[in-house]
Amino acid sequence: MSENRALQRAHILANHILRSPPLPSSLSLAREVCLQYSPPELNESYGFDVKEMRRLLDGHNTEDRDWLYGLMMQSNLFNRKERGGKIFVSPDYNQTMEQQREITMKRIWYLLEKGVYRGWLTDSGPEAELKKLALLEVCGIYDHSLSIKLGVHFFLWGNAVKFFGTKRHHEKWLKNTEDYVVKGCFAMTELGHGSNVRGIETVTTYDPRTGEFVINTPCESAQKYWIGGAAKHATHTIVFSQLNINGTNQGVHAFIAQIRDEDGNICPNIRVADCGHKIGLNGVDNGRIWFDNLRIPRENLLNSVADVSPDGEYVSAIKDPDQRFGAFMAPLTSGRVTIASSAIYSAKVGLAIALRYSLSRRAFSVKANGPEVLLLDYPSHQRRLLPLLAKTYAMSFAANDLKMIYVKRTPETNKAIHVVSSGLKAVLTWHNMHTLQECREAVGGQGVKTENLVGQLKGEFDVQTTFEGDNNVLMQQVSKALFAEYVSCKKRNKPFRGLGLEHMNSSRPVLPTQLSSSTLRCSQFQKNVFCLRERDLLERFTSEVAQLQGRGESRESSFLVNHELAEDLGKAFTEKAILQTILDAEAKLPAGSMKDVLGLVRSMYALISIEEDPSFLRYGYLSRDNVGDVRREVSKLCGELRPHALALVSSFGIPDAFLGPIAFNWVEANAWSSV
Amino acid sequence: MASHSQVLVEEKSSVRILTLNRPKQLNALSFQMISRLLQLFLAYEEDPSVKLVILKGQGRAFCAGGDVSAVVRDIGQGNWRLGAKFFADEYMLNYVMATYTKPQVSILNGIVMGGGAGVSVHGPFRIATQNTVFAMPETVLGLFPDVGASYFLSRLPGFFGEYVGLTGARLDGADMLACGLATHYLPSTRLTALEAELCRVDSSDPTVVSAILDAYTQNPHLKQQSAYHRQVLDVIDRCFSGRTVEEIIAALEREASDDWISTTIRALKKASPASLKISLRSIREGRLQGVGQCLSREYRMVCHVLKGDISKDFVEGCRAILIDKDKNPKWEPWRLEEMKDRMVEQYFKRVEEEEDLKLPARKNLPALAMAKL
Repeated sequence: MSENRALQRAHILANHILRSPPLPSSLSLAREVCLQYSPPELNESYGFDVKEMRRLLDGHNTEDRDWLYGLMMQSNLFNRKERGGKIFVSPDYNQTMEQQREITMKRIWYLLEKGVYRGWLTDSGPEAELKKLALLEVCGIYDHSLSIKLGVHFFLWGNAVKFFGTKRHHEKWLKNTEDYVVKGCFAMTELGHGSNVRGIETVTTYDPRTGEFVINTPCESAQKYWIGGAAKHATHTIVFSQLNINGTNQGVHAFIAQIRDEDGNICPNIRVADCGHKIGLNGVDNGRIWFDNLRIPRENLLNSVADVSPDGEYVSAIKDPDQRFGAFMAPLTSGRVTIASSAIYSAKVGLAIALRYSLSRRAFSVKANGPEVLLLDYPSHQRRLLPLLAKTYAMSFAANDLKMIYVKRTPETNKAIHVVSSGLKAVLTWHNMHTLQECREAVGGQGVKTENLVGQLKGEFDVQTTFEGDNNVLMQQVSKALFAEYVSCKKRNKPFRGLGLEHMNSSRPVLPTQLSSSTLRCSQFQKNVFCLRERDLLERFTSEVAQLQGRGESRESSFLVNHELAEDLGKAFTEKAILQTILDAEAKLPAGSMKDVLGLVRSMYALISIEEDPSFLRYGYLSRDNVGDVRREVSKLCGELRPHALALVSSFGIPDAFLGPIAFNWVEANAWSSV
Repeated sequence: MASHSQVLVEEKSSVRILTLNRPKQLNALSFQMISRLLQLFLAYEEDPSVKLVILKGQGRAFCAGGDVSAVVRDIGQGNWRLGAKFFADEYMLNYVMATYTKPQVSILNGIVMGGGAGVSVHGPFRIATQNTVFAMPETVLGLFPDVGASYFLSRLPGFFGEYVGLTGARLDGADMLACGLATHYLPSTRLTALEAELCRVDSSDPTVVSAILDAYTQNPHLKQQSAYHRQVLDVIDRCFSGRTVEEIIAALEREASDDWISTTIRALKKASPASLKISLRSIREGRLQGVGQCLSREYRMVCHVLKGDISKDFVEGCRAILIDKDKNPKWEPWRLEEMKDRMVEQYFKRVEEEEDLKLPARKNLPALAMAKL
C-alpha cells in the first residue's frame, strides 16, 4: 500500500470515529442487508476439463499465447491497474487520440524488443503462420488498435511486398519490415472508392527517359483515405493505382513509395492529412494521402504479376485484365481470415464479462422477502446470453478451420478460401457486434464504463463490418460464387465438389413432420435442415437469375434484382459451413463430459440459427408447429447450458487481467477505500 | 507447550505464535508439521478468540523447505503415492494460508527456501531481517518451484520471478522487500519488541497490523551485488522474458559478460533441463491463473516428478545434493533440446489413476494478500 493510500485510509477511519454517532445497541440489522460479492467459482462447478476445452478452442500455440499475455501484464506500458485486489491490463480509452496513437506505437516497440514478431515475414510454412496468427489474436484481445496497427504493417504492407513483390523487393524490405526499420502502410482505399478497388482513380504513368513511375492524385475523390499509419508513423506505403502505359490503362497495380524520411518529415510531392477522431480504434493513425507527380524508381513496381521494361513496355503472363486483377488480390485473403478470428475473440471477451457478472449479480426477489435472484437464473437472461455463447463456440471452430485452410493454401484452394473467408468475415463480425450490444445491456449501467470493456469494444470493433470488404458486398460475392459453381456443374453435367456442396449430389433430404426433442438434437437432422435450406435457396436463386437472363437481362442486373435471395443464400451457406466445423470438432472428441457439453452447444447453435432465420417458414422448410418446437427446445437448452455457463466462458482462456473489473469483485472494485 | 513438538504453540490473548521447531533440519517441513499447521490454522479460523497468527522458526532458519528426504525414501521403496500425499497436504496448507480470513505475520529471520516460502509468502505480512536468505532452489534438485510459487513468483515485477525460479538465486532481506516478497524489513534486534506489541493486537483488521508493522519497518539499502539494481533488472527483463529456456540462455550469452551473467548462466547450466523447462512453463501459466489453479497444476506436475514417468531427475537431484552430496547429478535428459515439448506437455496432464488436488471452497480470495506484491 502506498503511503498516500495509507494516509487516506487513516483519514477515513478517523472520520468514522470522530463524527459518527454512538453505535446503536443492535448492530446486526445494518449488516444483514449489505450485499457481498460472492465469486461465481464458489457455487458453480466445472462439469468438464476447462483446460482441455481451452486448448480445443484456441486450437494452436497455447504456450505462445500465454507468453504474450504475460509480456503485456509484466510491462508498465499496458496500463496495469488494480481494481478490487486484482490486476487488470487494458488501454486507457480516456486518453486523447494523440496519446492513444503514441502509446500504441510504444507497445509495438516493446513487443518488438521482446521478439514477438520474429519470423513474421521471414519465416514461412503453416507452423510459422499459425504462430503469427495466434500472437496477433492475443494483441487484439488486449486492444484492437494494437492488432490493427500491427496488421497494417505486417499483413497489408508486409504481405503485399511478399506476395506482389519479387526477390528484389523481398531482400530490400522484408527483414527491415520485421525489425521496424521501415514502417509500412497500405494505400488502397480512396475517398471515392472502397470495396470497388478496380474503380480507383489514382493514376501512374511511366517515364522511360528517367526510368521512373509518376504517381498522381488527379481529383479529390482520388485521395487515399483511411490509410492506417499514414497520419503519423508510416515511412513507406504500398500505392494502388491505375497503370497507364502509352495511353493504355493496364488496370490496378501496386507500387512502393516512401512518404516520410527517417526523421518523420513528409517527403516532397506527398501531402498527408489526418482522418481525425473516430468512434473507436483511436490508437491507429488513419490518414489521407495525395500524390503530386511523385516519382519512384521503376523497380518499385511490385512485379509478381506484371512488369514494365526499362524502355516502357508492359509485360504480363496473364493477358486477361480480370484474371490479372484476381491473381493480384488473392493473397489479401489473410485480412479477412484475421478479422474473422479476431471478431470471435472480441465476442469471447464480451461474453466472459457479461456471464461472469450475471453469475454474481442479483436483482429482484421472486418471493416476497425472499433472496434476490442471480441474473443468470432468470430464463430471460439465459435466453439473451446463452445462444450467443453457443454461436461464439461454433464460430470459434469455424474461424480455426478457416485459419487452417488458409495456412495450408494451394492454388486449388484459393477459390474456396475466398468464398468461405468472405462469408465468415461477414457473419462473424456481425455476430460480434450483436453480442457486444447484448452483453453491454446485460451488465446494465456498468457496461458503459470503458474500463469494463463491453461497451467500448462496440466502437473499437464496429469497423470490422465494413473494412477489408463491406459485409453486404462480401455476402453477395458468396452467392455469386455459389451461382457460378452451380451453373458450371450443371452445364458440364458434373457432380458438385468442394464448398461443402456435395450434399447437392444426393436427393433432397426429407424432414420429419413431427419434431421431437431428440430429433431436434440429432446432428443428422440438423445437417439436413441446413442442407435443405442451402440447396433450395441456391436452386431458387439460380432459377430466378436464369429466368431474368432468358428475358434478356444481364447477369449482373439479374443478381441485383434478386438481392434478397442472394442475402438469404449467403447466410444459409455460411451458417451451414459453421455447423459443419463444430460437428467435426465434436466428432473428434472421445466420449465424455466435454463431448456431451459440446453436443449441447452445437444443438443450441443449430436451433437458434433456425429460430432466427425466417427463411425456414417463408419457404416452408418447416411448419408453424415445427418452429414452435424449435423455440421450446432452445429454451430447454438454455436451462441445460446454464450449469455450464461459467465453465464455458472460462474455457475461452482469456486471462482475468484482460477482462473488466465487473467480471470479478465489483463491490470491492468500487469500494470507498479504492476511491 | 511440549519442547519436543515440531510446532510450538504460544497463546498470547488474541494472538497465536507458532514456531517451527526442527532447528537441526533447519525447520524443514515434515509430514507431521504440515498436518499440525493445517489443523491449527483451520481451528484458529473458526475460533473467534483468535485474531492474529504469527509464524516463525526456531534457530537460524525460518524454514529450509519441505523435508524431501522422506519422500525420496518412499519413492525408493516404490511408493511415490505416499510422497504425493505429502505434497497434497502441503499445497492444501498453502491454499488455506493464501485464502486465510485472519492476518498471518511470518517472521523470516533466517533461511527461507522452497516450502518455507510456501508457508509465508501467501500470507499478507512477511517480515525480513538482515539474517534472511531466500531462495527457490528446486531446479537443482530436479523439482520445480512449487508450493504456489508459480503464483507468487509470476507476480513479481517484470521477469524477476522467472529469474528467481529458474536460477535458484539467493535474495537477502533487502532484495525481498524491494521485489515484494517481503512486506516489511527490520533489524532482528527489534523483533522482540515488535512481537510483544503484536501480541497486544485484538483485531483481525489488516490495517491495524499494518500500522504496527509500518512503525517498525526500515528501508534498507540494496547490497552492491544485489540483482535488484536497475541495470541488472534491465538485463533480467531483457533475457528472462524469452519465450523458451533456450532463448533465455541465448539472450544471457549475448549480454556483455560480467560476474552476474556468468553466475546466472552457470546456475542455469547446472540445473536439471527437465526442471527448467517445466518450471518456466509453470510460471508462465501461473501468471494467468488464480492461486488455487496454480496449486492444482503444480500438484499434477509434482505427481509426474515423483512417479518419474518422464524424468527421474528428482531422485537423482536429491541423491547428488542431499544424500551423497557429490553435487554431480546425472540429469536425464541431459541437454535442453532433448527435453521435447511433448515431454514437457506430459507434466501438465493428470497422472492416470491419480485424483486432481481437491481444494476446499473458500470465500476469501487471495487478492488482498497479493496486492502487496
